[in-house]
Amino acid sequence: MTLRSRLSLLQEQAGKERKPRPASTSDSPLRQRLAGIRTARITAEPAASESRTSDEQLAKRLKGYRIAEGVIQIEQRLSLKGKLGQRSLAMLRNSLRLPGEGREAHLRQVYVDTETTGLSGGSGTVAFLIGMALVDEDALVVTQYLMTRFSGESAMLESFSQALSLDDRLVSYNGKSFDLPLLLTRYRMQAVPQCFTQLPHLDLLHPVRRLFAAGWPDCRLLTLEDRLLGFRRQHDLPGSEAPAAWADYLRQGRAEKLIQVVEHNRQDIVSLALAHAMLVSVIDRPEAYEIDIVSLAQWLSASDRAAAYALLKSTGQPLDGRGKRLLAQWARGAQEWDLALGIWEELSKQGCRQSAEELAKYHEHVSRDLNVAKQYCQQMKPGNDRRRRLERIEAKQYRLSLQTSLSGFAVEPN
Amino acid sequence: MSIPAEALDNLTATAARDPADLLASRLRAEYGARITGELVIPAKSGDYSPLPEDLDHRLAQALRQRQVERLYTHQAAAWASVRSRRHTVIVTPTASGKTLCYNLPVLQAALQEKAKALYLFPTKALAQDQVAELSALNEAGELGVKAFTFDGDTPGDARKAVRTRGDIVVSNPDMLHQGILPHHTKWAQFFESLRYVVIDEMHSYRGVFGSHVANVMRRLRRICRFYGSDPLFILCSATIANPAQLAGELIGAEVNAITDSGAPQGAKHLLLWNPPVINPDLGIRASARSQTTRIAKLALRQGLKSIVFAQSRLMVEVLTKYLKDAFDKDPRYPARVAAYRGGYLPTERRAMERKLREGKLDCVVSTSALELGVDIGALDLCVLNGYPGTIAGTWQRLGRAGRRQRTAVGVLVASSLPLDQYIIRNPDFFLGASPEQARIDPDQLLILLDHIRCAAFELPFRQGEAFGNEDLGDMLAYLAEHGVVHREGDQWHWMTDSYPANSVSLRSVAEGNFLVIDTSEGKQSVIAEVDYSSAPMTLYEGAIYMIQSTPYQVERLDWEGRKAFVTRTRADYYTDAIDYTRLKILERFEEAKQTQQAVAQGEVHLVKRFAGYKKIRYYSHENVGYGNIDLPDQEMHTTAVWWQVNPQALEAAFDSRQIALDGFLGAGYALHIVAAMRMLSESRDIGRAVGDGNARWFATVGANGRGQLRSAQDEAIDPAQLDHFTPTLFLYDNYPGGIGITAPLYEDRSEIVSDARQLVSECGCAYGCPSCIGPILASDEVRGYSPKEAALKVLLLVSEDDA
Repeated sequence: MTLRSRLSLLQEQAGKERKPRPASTSDSPLRQRLAGIRTARITAEPAASESRTSDEQLAKRLKGYRIAEGVIQIEQRLSLKGKLGQRSLAMLRNSLRLPGEGREAHLRQVYVDTETTGLSGGSGTVAFLIGMALVDEDALVVTQYLMTRFSGESAMLESFSQALSLDDRLVSYNGKSFDLPLLLTRYRMQAVPQCFTQLPHLDLLHPVRRLFAAGWPDCRLLTLEDRLLGFRRQHDLPGSEAPAAWADYLRQGRAEKLIQVVEHNRQDIVSLALAHAMLVSVIDRPEAYEIDIVSLAQWLSASDRAAAYALLKSTGQPLDGRGKRLLAQWARGAQEWDLALGIWEELSKQGCRQSAEELAKYHEHVSRDLNVAKQYCQQMKPGNDRRRRLERIEAKQYRLSLQTSLSGFAVEPN
Repeated sequence: MSIPAEALDNLTATAARDPADLLASRLRAEYGARITGELVIPAKSGDYSPLPEDLDHRLAQALRQRQVERLYTHQAAAWASVRSRRHTVIVTPTASGKTLCYNLPVLQAALQEKAKALYLFPTKALAQDQVAELSALNEAGELGVKAFTFDGDTPGDARKAVRTRGDIVVSNPDMLHQGILPHHTKWAQFFESLRYVVIDEMHSYRGVFGSHVANVMRRLRRICRFYGSDPLFILCSATIANPAQLAGELIGAEVNAITDSGAPQGAKHLLLWNPPVINPDLGIRASARSQTTRIAKLALRQGLKSIVFAQSRLMVEVLTKYLKDAFDKDPRYPARVAAYRGGYLPTERRAMERKLREGKLDCVVSTSALELGVDIGALDLCVLNGYPGTIAGTWQRLGRAGRRQRTAVGVLVASSLPLDQYIIRNPDFFLGASPEQARIDPDQLLILLDHIRCAAFELPFRQGEAFGNEDLGDMLAYLAEHGVVHREGDQWHWMTDSYPANSVSLRSVAEGNFLVIDTSEGKQSVIAEVDYSSAPMTLYEGAIYMIQSTPYQVERLDWEGRKAFVTRTRADYYTDAIDYTRLKILERFEEAKQTQQAVAQGEVHLVKRFAGYKKIRYYSHENVGYGNIDLPDQEMHTTAVWWQVNPQALEAAFDSRQIALDGFLGAGYALHIVAAMRMLSESRDIGRAVGDGNARWFATVGANGRGQLRSAQDEAIDPAQLDHFTPTLFLYDNYPGGIGITAPLYEDRSEIVSDARQLVSECGCAYGCPSCIGPILASDEVRGYSPKEAALKVLLLVSEDDA
């Protein structure tokens, strides 16, 4: 039995899944001893007859050019007169201001997306493609930096850094937890200076989740394209195949898949830019879209309570319990008691204890109908709050009755 | 630093009135015949040095606040060694103020140079103790040094603060391996200023775990070089024979050892206790369990605090039950006795540790789980139910009693296991022996390869770089061939979509703990965790699983999902698994062939089958039934030494194959004892088996006390019907891949065989007993031959003739 197969079995017993591989032709004794490791043997180098795509050829096929050893830059201008799916790119000319935003909405918006050698994070995962887009006059300019070998990494990172300025805002899709931390790791590993950690950063995934998570099956960019931008990609290479595509090029010089990855990344960035603009217009006219009005109102309320209240009050959407409670709460703030009372009474009939508490408060402090207040008190959640409130109301009642009898006593003619 | 160095010396003067002394005298008076050996270690006064002159005045002030006006000599020596930039290991007894040895230089560097330190403890509990202790000193001196734990329990939002603001980060090797090194860029600031790495409880990093940890240290030092730092290592250890060597192997650099303790010590009485013989013919002694219970009860009645160490989780539960039956009958009073072992949930263990420290418990029964330095307060008595397997382990456990300079009594109660009997009958061996060497094998191929993968993920390898003592270029070329790394120019880059550290466990070769889920009363709650390797022994369907002496029965085992569903039960029995082991020889590395015998060392494949289990009634210990176990076989490739006898010589020497088989089983038993002794390893590190070497049959002792052959299909085979009969006696390394025991075993084979012959021939029994060739049954007198003679014959046959 060769040591190769012995070790393969050894690893199986260690609870690690793998199948024995065909024996290697290599016969260094150590290599033999190492044989049988779990990972799949990669396909052999392409035969001499099979041609290996060079960086030069790859750049040509991508319509890009080599800017440094191991780095290809690809630039594409998309006219803002064009369309993507049902949406016009002209939307990107609008002011892209989301609720609560100030100065950052007026900075240059830089859309960023990366392709990486893995999804796990950690210092062994490399971003081999950085794509960015920004509006320049009448076009959306997409610039991609592709690393064609490991030695190109620092040049790629430097190029990306230089393309950014301190007057930019980054816009990404899940970039806060994935792309940007990963890039930061790469800059540190390569000791290349960077400024992007100082730039404001809008991660569109968060507002999209907020507004659409309830109505959509998921919040992937592909779903967003389908639901919001009105198109589905044809012949797209799933992002999960990106690591293998890059490895294929590195090892065997096979470029087909890698070219598809570059295309996939460009598509992602354009969709990202358009999604940003769409989100702004959705928020301007929320009724036209299947969005979660209550979440939007909550989001708005942080910067503009009046607008949020108006939105919720005028919505044609039927509100759920959460929405009704919020509406009643804001109505209370505006002292529009009829609206608030109507909602609370409706909800408390359905057994909402929180609304009963609001009603108890209202009748104790505003209408001062202590008997009614006490009734609602009984419907509150059992606990210290209810006990204290009840005791206080009863004390008030007792005081009142005492006052009444005392004053009655006082007016009694002697 | 938990012990103020002052005011301890005069304690020893009161020793005569010490209740522990009284207990020792009483045991001696009443049970003198059972005590085969005794050692009194007199109290020792402390040796002191003044506080070092170059100690920062703020630190000196903090020490004085804590009533520390001077240092023990070993603390001062450690200071000097560390200050002269030498890696240092401190080896002194429990509670000798080891922590100050590393806290002083670390705090000084933090105060004066904003230098950072990483503390590594083998368990989370120890890490938490340590932070509490650092905080105390920190507060006393208002030093402003921040110490944080960083482990699996650290909440996500606190992690960033630990990384950027911690002066001292307290963690464990597993976290370093999986959570810190693979994310080193997040720790860039920390690594840039990392000045000290502290490794406490170093002796626990042996065997597989130690070999992994040595590789994690290789990775740590590699990352430090990347950030331009070169931290100094300070290590602490309980007594082992080779601290400087182990420390050196762990960190890959020369280490200065400080071994002379200046700390005062209370007197210690150590009694070696052999249970009385109850059946002289069969050499059967009363159980260790009965003696341990007796001694612990005596101590409880005298109001002494005691700790009892048992060898298995099962024995912990049995002993706890017996003691609770005697002392915790009335539920209105708080419990006086408790069990402590792995498998309980962390919160439960923390609560128990607290009760112990506060003196609310009088007796705790524990596995080795409490052997490490968890602070459990002052105890008067330590009873070891059975020899822990190593001399170092024995002293480590005995050290748990008398931590605070009081007289303490330790009793080692021998079980019927041969190793125990060997020790107890040769007390000079134990009392005079130096503790064991701790062995690691950082270049064990599978382990090394795992860490090369992890290291490649962390930083690309450069041509000419070294990692371990195998040819790194070859290893990387191999990984490249399999697409794990990619070579470009003079660098090797990680090239796989995975996070390798997650698939490498430092603690075991197998992974995936089992959850024990209580489904009584319709709800599901997790009540314990059991590690992968002990699961087949303890969680088979039908097994009685005990927690704090409450029996649960396993209803269903979800092997794939790693879950066991249990319910409360009132069973009056416990269960014990029966396992069979088959071995197949794969490759001979070395062989010494002679005319009548051959001994070889090499690679084997081992299959362990759990055939069934016995139900054993409490107290009477009678066997009240059997059950089947339906579990996948456990497989392992490992190294072994094996002996075979020339078939003609064998036929000539024995009247029947049955007798020869009994001889092999008995000889194997004796060789196992001697090998464990000579290799100074725990006996579970070595396994033994008798088979044909091709996994066609293996031998086991049947219910009738005779050797039996069984096929791979578990059918009985009559040895007389076999065409070829070449029984092979194996001693194997009990870890997948082996951890380096069998090579020295092979080297020492002649001595081992002659020691085994001496052990058997000099044993006082007639036909064989648990102390030499294994237990025999009463009916053996009518066997017509002596199994002991048969074993001696086999041992003679495998002795190397000088011809």
